[in-house]
Amino acid sequence: MATLCRVRHRWKRIKCAHVLTRSLTGKFDYDLVVIGGGSGGLACSKEAAQFGQRVAVLDYVEPSAKGTKWGLGGTCVNVGCIPKKLMHQAALLGTAVKDAKKYGWQISGPVCHDWATMAEAVQNHVRSLNWGHRVQLQDKKVKYLNMKGSLVDEHTVKGLTKAGKETILTAKNIVIATGGRPKYPTNIPGAIEYGLTSDDIFWLKKSPGKTLVVGASYVALECAGFLTGIGLDTTVMIRSIALRGFDQQMAGLVTDYMEAYGTKFVRKCVPKRVEKLSSGALQVTWSDINTGSEHKDTFDSVLWAVGKAPETKALGLDKLGVKLNKETGKIVLGADESTSVPNIFAFGDIGEGRPELTPTAIKAGKLLAQRLAGHSTQLMNYDNVATTVFTPLEYGCVGLSEEEAERRHGKDGIEIYHAFYKPLEFTVPERDASQCYLKVVCERGGDQKILGLHFTGPNAGEVTQGFSLGFQCGATYSHLLQTVGIHPTCAEELTKVNITKRSGLDATVTGC
Amino acid sequence: MLFKRICRLLPYPSVSVSLALPRKQLFSSFRSSSRHALIRRSMASDPTATETTRFDFLVIGGGSGGLAGARRASELGASTAVIESHKLGGTCVNVGCVPKKVMWNAAVHAEYLHDHSDYGFDVENFRFSWETLKSKRDAYVSHLNRIYRNNLDKAKIQTIHGHARFTSDPEPTVEVNGRKYTAPHILIATGGQPSVLSESEVPGANLGITSDGFFELETLPKRSVIVGAGYIAVELAGILCTLGSKTSLIIRQSGVLRNFDSLISTNCTKELQNAGVDLWKNSQVRSVRKTDRGLEVTLATKDPEKKNEEDKIRTIEEVDCLLWAIGRHPNTSGLNIGEMGVDTDEKGHIIVDEFQNTSRPGIYAVGDVCGRALLTPVAIAAGRKLAHRLFEGKKDSKLDYSCIPTVVFSHPPIGTVGLTEEEAIKSRGKENVKIYRTSFTPMYHAITSRKSQCVMKLVCEGKEEKVVGLHMQGLGCDEMLQGFSVAIKMGATKADFDKTVAIHPTSSEEFVTMR
Repeated sequence: MATLCRVRHRWKRIKCAHVLTRSLTGKFDYDLVVIGGGSGGLACSKEAAQFGQRVAVLDYVEPSAKGTKWGLGGTCVNVGCIPKKLMHQAALLGTAVKDAKKYGWQISGPVCHDWATMAEAVQNHVRSLNWGHRVQLQDKKVKYLNMKGSLVDEHTVKGLTKAGKETILTAKNIVIATGGRPKYPTNIPGAIEYGLTSDDIFWLKKSPGKTLVVGASYVALECAGFLTGIGLDTTVMIRSIALRGFDQQMAGLVTDYMEAYGTKFVRKCVPKRVEKLSSGALQVTWSDINTGSEHKDTFDSVLWAVGKAPETKALGLDKLGVKLNKETGKIVLGADESTSVPNIFAFGDIGEGRPELTPTAIKAGKLLAQRLAGHSTQLMNYDNVATTVFTPLEYGCVGLSEEEAERRHGKDGIEIYHAFYKPLEFTVPERDASQCYLKVVCERGGDQKILGLHFTGPNAGEVTQGFSLGFQCGATYSHLLQTVGIHPTCAEELTKVNITKRSGLDATVTGC
Repeated sequence: MLFKRICRLLPYPSVSVSLALPRKQLFSSFRSSSRHALIRRSMASDPTATETTRFDFLVIGGGSGGLAGARRASELGASTAVIESHKLGGTCVNVGCVPKKVMWNAAVHAEYLHDHSDYGFDVENFRFSWETLKSKRDAYVSHLNRIYRNNLDKAKIQTIHGHARFTSDPEPTVEVNGRKYTAPHILIATGGQPSVLSESEVPGANLGITSDGFFELETLPKRSVIVGAGYIAVELAGILCTLGSKTSLIIRQSGVLRNFDSLISTNCTKELQNAGVDLWKNSQVRSVRKTDRGLEVTLATKDPEKKNEEDKIRTIEEVDCLLWAIGRHPNTSGLNIGEMGVDTDEKGHIIVDEFQNTSRPGIYAVGDVCGRALLTPVAIAAGRKLAHRLFEGKKDSKLDYSCIPTVVFSHPPIGTVGLTEEEAIKSRGKENVKIYRTSFTPMYHAITSRKSQCVMKLVCEGKEEKVVGLHMQGLGCDEMLQGFSVAIKMGATKADFDKTVAIHPTSSEEFVTMR
């Protein structure tokens, strides 16, 4: 606290100096300078420009350890949501070919997948989006600078080009939206030298081949899922639990499905070292946490998906005293996205405790721009954020996990309605639907307000959005039941669910 | 004694399948129904005195609505029977939603197969076997029939096989295969069937089939002609065309789905043409003739701009599937409901109030036979609500028919709930209606050479911009709609949509990011 006060005091003085400078030299170059041209930064800068603000956005991609680099748009467009969903789509088509045969399609010969064709198409699409973002900035009169930005003081940003040329920009407000980058493990020999991360996988020209994915986050599972789906031998190595923070029953269903789908899982194990054999293959040695025994196997690629680290190093935050969370390295933020330093704001993946999701960054960025332009006082509501994991069996959810609901309301305070259902599209191809499940966690008393809603199945992303709107409106269990179903869809099961977990009755849906 | 009486009743006109049963079995099944009472009427004034089986709840029609109502009533303790002349499950399971969606799924695979190479899969030679699909589809439908049968047995609901006809008894009573059944509460849930034109309207009309016949086709027609502009015509034309049949769709005006929002009507008409359906606008079938190379369908096309000009007459030859999808009509013939004082409208639909009461106390109707919102889930919900009202004393139990979501399994699918823009303007005035719309190419098509658009519209009313209608067509719209329909039923406003954080990357997120 004392430190904070001191910092504040110091800043007050500097601020005074700047007010003086401003009155001597006139206005700032810009009303707003945004560092980071990802989903959030772009949304924020375009929104501000729409309110007539003079805006500049700085974006610079530090190449990955493997040397991969990309254009404007940040993680989502280049090394996240977009290429990931397209490759997930490719994997779904891999499954569709198998289903198609059962649907009467006679396909001659084995079906092979060519990585280069897919990757090139995906990469071209991403490049077209990079271009689209530049055009949009131009249209909205936002100055785009392909420079690495860092803070000089609370109104000044220094931009550095690749060639080393410096530019100084002054701004009334500065927004940091530099996001994060995948981490490498620090203590595993060969990890960085021979390993890839999600920054590289989408930009490979050649198939990664037999792949070991280390980690159990949604990034790990999504990558392992699409690699399996396009026919690659894929193994996931998990130290403890999958999809930490998500409902664990659902997480189990997601990984069970993947296992049945062909993804191999090595559980309770940690990698020890990665070595390159003379054949070019990577030999990974790992140890079992429980027994300590060591195992080895060779892979063509090792993909580290062990978490993300915020991009704060080059920003010069410490110099200005911008408060960071010591553990995570993320910026500590107020509800209005303010940092500990006046006029400096931050949001998106770099913000402590913020969901690392594109739509929250976009929304938070737009709202921040509106507030900075004096057009609104509305704050971003980080509750009720729905999300979908695009694993081979998609998982969509909004609200609390069963564990969290139980923690907050007690086991007797919640009622869970659930159902195991069989998508009609699974019946003809005789696909196992054991993991197609939905769960509605409600308050037990009163109107049975919905606390959390979880759904695994085809199209979970498209199913979940509307329900998250209902959730936002305060839907109760009876609201679900009062809604007429749409037959035959998977989503209708959510309006038919009637078996409580407490009852112990079989939750399998039969008939229509 | 009892056995004799049954035999005496057998030669009645509506006797059908029961006759095939061994008499002993018939006898024992009759006897073993312990949950209902057998009453004897032997008043001197009634010479045709016969025994009438009495239930608490008698359901005519074993389709979605009837079965749902029966099972719920039984759960609530009512002795219940279901009368069905055909297969259990009704339209939905046998000749509707279920087999239709199986066919649609097969067609979706056809679309995927075109996209595979764009996604890196090497799928070159493929051929479609209708026979494989049909046998699997039939097997699945039979499986569902059995499930329904088991569900009824488990619920101790008696299934009576045959056609029901109301008798002239003072108390509402139906007769099936010569036997009489009564209950204080009788539910008519007989559904509907596809309409066909008469020979006098179109010579050769009976050479065509309907959606019922579509599900009997043993091979993929090479040349199909579908007549109609409703959702059934759209769905079947889409399926046939996508599976590789050369398909013509004959519509009387310039667009399909004319009672849908104009955005949907226009877009769906366009998508059909994009998919390769040969669309005949402003056209009607004049005659159909059988030749040794298939059917010859003669059509008259009128140019609406040139009122005085004569119709252009053209023929489509070598047609092996002419399908009428010109509407459906209620199954009431043979029920003898007129005599019961059950009122019907000019199209023969049974008129019911909001509680599903007909004009005759003790007789109710749900589902397609009422002609309102011809959808399985509507019939199911109405049947269940009625059961709760009748057997649980829930006086206010009724189905709210507002905001019923509907999906059309076209290519790509359509989702719609609430009012169309046109309806909203008509009821609230143009100044009170605000429209939000968007259209985009779904990300799935980012790397495919085949493209389809996604169009979306929100119809909002009043200052608070309450969302009263949501309409869309595009990939995934079938699964998108349900959740939105929950929220719209709750009275969601545009501000609620705006407050909702998107799920990225989906198509549905466009609804919560609309400006």
